[in-house]
Amino acid sequence: MEQQAIIEVKGLQKSFGSFEAVKNVSFTVNKGDVFGFLGPNGAGKSTTMRCMLSLIKPNAGDIRIFGKNLFEERNAILAKVGSIVEKPDFYKYLSALKNLEIFARVSGAQVSQKEIYETLDFVGLLGREKDKVGGFSHGMRQRLGIAQTLLHQPELIILDEPTTGLDPQGIIEVRDLILRLKNEQNKTVILSSHQLAEIELVANRMVIINKGQTIIEGSVAELMNAQETLLHIELVQNSQGAAALIQEILPQVKVQVSSPKTLELSIEKKHISNLNNKLVQAGFEIVALEPKRKLEDFFIQMTQA
Amino acid sequence: MLWKNTYNEFIKILAKPRSYIGLAALTLLILIILFAMKADGRMYISFVTASFEQTLSFNGNILNGNLIAFIILQMLIVHIPLLVALVTGDLLSGEAAMGTLRMLLTKPISRSQVVFSKLIAAAVYTFILVIWMGFLALVVGRWVFGTGDLIVLNSDGLVILNYEDILWRYGLAFLVAYLALMTIATLSIAFSAFADNSIGPIVSTMAVIILFTIIGTLDVSVFDHVKPWLFTTHMASWRSFFSDPVPWSAIWDSICILLAHNILFVAVAVFKFKRKDITS
Amino acid sequence: MKYILFVFALFSAALSLAQDPNELVKAVRLKIAKVKDYSADVHIKAQVPMIKIDEVDAKVFYKVPDQMKVESKGIAILPKQGLGDLNNFLTNEKAYTCALNGTKMLGEVKTAVVSVLPLTDNTDVILVKLWIDPSRDLILKSQITSKSNGTLDISYFYGAQAKYGLPYKMIFTIDVKKFKLPKSVAADLHQNKKKPKPTDGPQNGTIILQMSNYKINQGISDAQFNN
Repeated sequence: MEQQAIIEVKGLQKSFGSFEAVKNVSFTVNKGDVFGFLGPNGAGKSTTMRCMLSLIKPNAGDIRIFGKNLFEERNAILAKVGSIVEKPDFYKYLSALKNLEIFARVSGAQVSQKEIYETLDFVGLLGREKDKVGGFSHGMRQRLGIAQTLLHQPELIILDEPTTGLDPQGIIEVRDLILRLKNEQNKTVILSSHQLAEIELVANRMVIINKGQTIIEGSVAELMNAQETLLHIELVQNSQGAAALIQEILPQVKVQVSSPKTLELSIEKKHISNLNNKLVQAGFEIVALEPKRKLEDFFIQMTQA
Repeated sequence: MLWKNTYNEFIKILAKPRSYIGLAALTLLILIILFAMKADGRMYISFVTASFEQTLSFNGNILNGNLIAFIILQMLIVHIPLLVALVTGDLLSGEAAMGTLRMLLTKPISRSQVVFSKLIAAAVYTFILVIWMGFLALVVGRWVFGTGDLIVLNSDGLVILNYEDILWRYGLAFLVAYLALMTIATLSIAFSAFADNSIGPIVSTMAVIILFTIIGTLDVSVFDHVKPWLFTTHMASWRSFFSDPVPWSAIWDSICILLAHNILFVAVAVFKFKRKDITS
Repeated sequence: MKYILFVFALFSAALSLAQDPNELVKAVRLKIAKVKDYSADVHIKAQVPMIKIDEVDAKVFYKVPDQMKVESKGIAILPKQGLGDLNNFLTNEKAYTCALNGTKMLGEVKTAVVSVLPLTDNTDVILVKLWIDPSRDLILKSQITSKSNGTLDISYFYGAQAKYGLPYKMIFTIDVKKFKLPKSVAADLHQNKKKPKPTDGPQNGTIILQMSNYKINQGISDAQFNN
């Protein structure tokens, strides 16, 4: 069954004066995806996202959302999109409820007071709706921001760095919310981040961009598995012997013995299970076998390519 | 969508403390002027009538509510633009600075609708300022000082207007003063479309007013061709309703020039705002 | 009959002219002195350069020796001197001396021109010239020259109240050379248009007072003049 494309970005380009923020970005988001938009700071993520929401006009390229040209049918498209760009900002002098009412009024849909309260409940802000946003913590604003994106029941939700500046608890809450959006409400979500771990935990597909260009696009699982991971092995004894055996089986792999009981090596994921069997058969007693993904390495590898 | 967002704009203006600064400042200023006039108004008048009073005597209630209202209007027309710009200069750029513009513009509302809804809100706010000023100046002024003939000093002499012949002049004068203030509002909105902070458009608006006013008052022939086209030249046009006979054609010219400025400023604001990349 | 009247008129005029100017002024003064108080409606029409004002109706009150008040609903412009001041000046006969300056025809009436000079320097008035109709003991015209106000001409027209020396109409001709507008008038519009300077215009203005509904010696309380 062919996937239905919700967003198609092709050859996007945008310069600010002489600075080329986006050189050539293309990707496709399918219906039901939680799509990760990954890249280091300054890669052009924010500019691309702003282009997708018509905040910035690209110099070249094509953006189609729901099969429609964004710049020709902007209002019809945006009526079905909920978004947070950069960070959710609100009228600090107004209450959470008033803020949501304001954004609901221009959302293109009839949003009832009941729906607003339901949304507040969904993001866990029920009871705080009469408080002024000026007094909200960063996490509460982030949640209110998500509430704001959901008011008009959008099909597509675009979240730009939704966990930036949040404490660990806040990060977990937002991550949870995103998963609930996908699982409970079957929304298509696109979220940008400069942290691979974050994308890996929630997204099923992703694109990596760097220096304004698409580096790679695909399924998260495939992309992650195609890469080598750092494998940490702990034995009861004789790490030297184990190292020699590994070297025999996989001569191209460089093994490092870090102590009489531990060793580390870089290895593709698909080889781990086989290696484990061989070591056990040879009589080595394994205490732990721990794949440690080299996040930074992977990222650097991808973005410097 | 235009009216929905206009309604939003009203909510925002009503909730913003700075909206009340203008009204409060206006109230305070007018009350101070009323108090000063009550305490020492005769002195103020004799400054104008001194040379006449050597030969003539002015009988009747000269220091009446009508004159007070005129004095207040004349004094405040210099300052009210600041109070207007304080709110209107902030309408677009303030939201840019706050980040809410980014939020608003990802909604299915066109950018020109955003500008127009803010313009409508600005127009209503300015109208309320003018009405409030009119109420304090004329209604409270008349209540405190009574009514009477209005003595007005124009560049060609004194005009004494019958008390029964004044209200319509004030009505029209307030309307033209309103148009003049709307010119300030649209100018500051135009500046606001270019900026991403609140203070820039407010300061720029005041700078333009000061610059144009100085050009307008400089008695240098180089500027003679420019002066009639400066909107500041026509900001005092409301005063012409207190001439006898009323210079209708001159007032009409002023109205046209002010309207043209309004249209120009709004066009600039829409043009710029529609093309603006929202990077804030 | 006409002839007789004419001769009589000539005779009486000649007789009057032969009179002492002090006597002429005294006769006028005595006539005025019959008035202890009066009130009258007054219609004021001012045509003064640099001042634009509609015609105004007011009420004037007078009570001896020198109480005078003008009441108007709106603003009324009157000459600073002349309404009661001349009478007040003439009342004190020891303060001035009179001299006859010949005769002059004012319309149909031959008048005696009397100069009245104050005897002291401390008065504002420098010189008063009176055109007196000797046959009726009425001032038809006066010219007051004062230190502060320059020259003020007044013409008087009499009707029913002539016996009290009260006119039904007065025309003031005032000197406006001293009129100045303060420079700091708020920014006036259309400054570019060249306007004639005030000094280019006429140097005189007139204020016409038309009195009616005189109520003479009916008693006016002092309270009327308060405020």
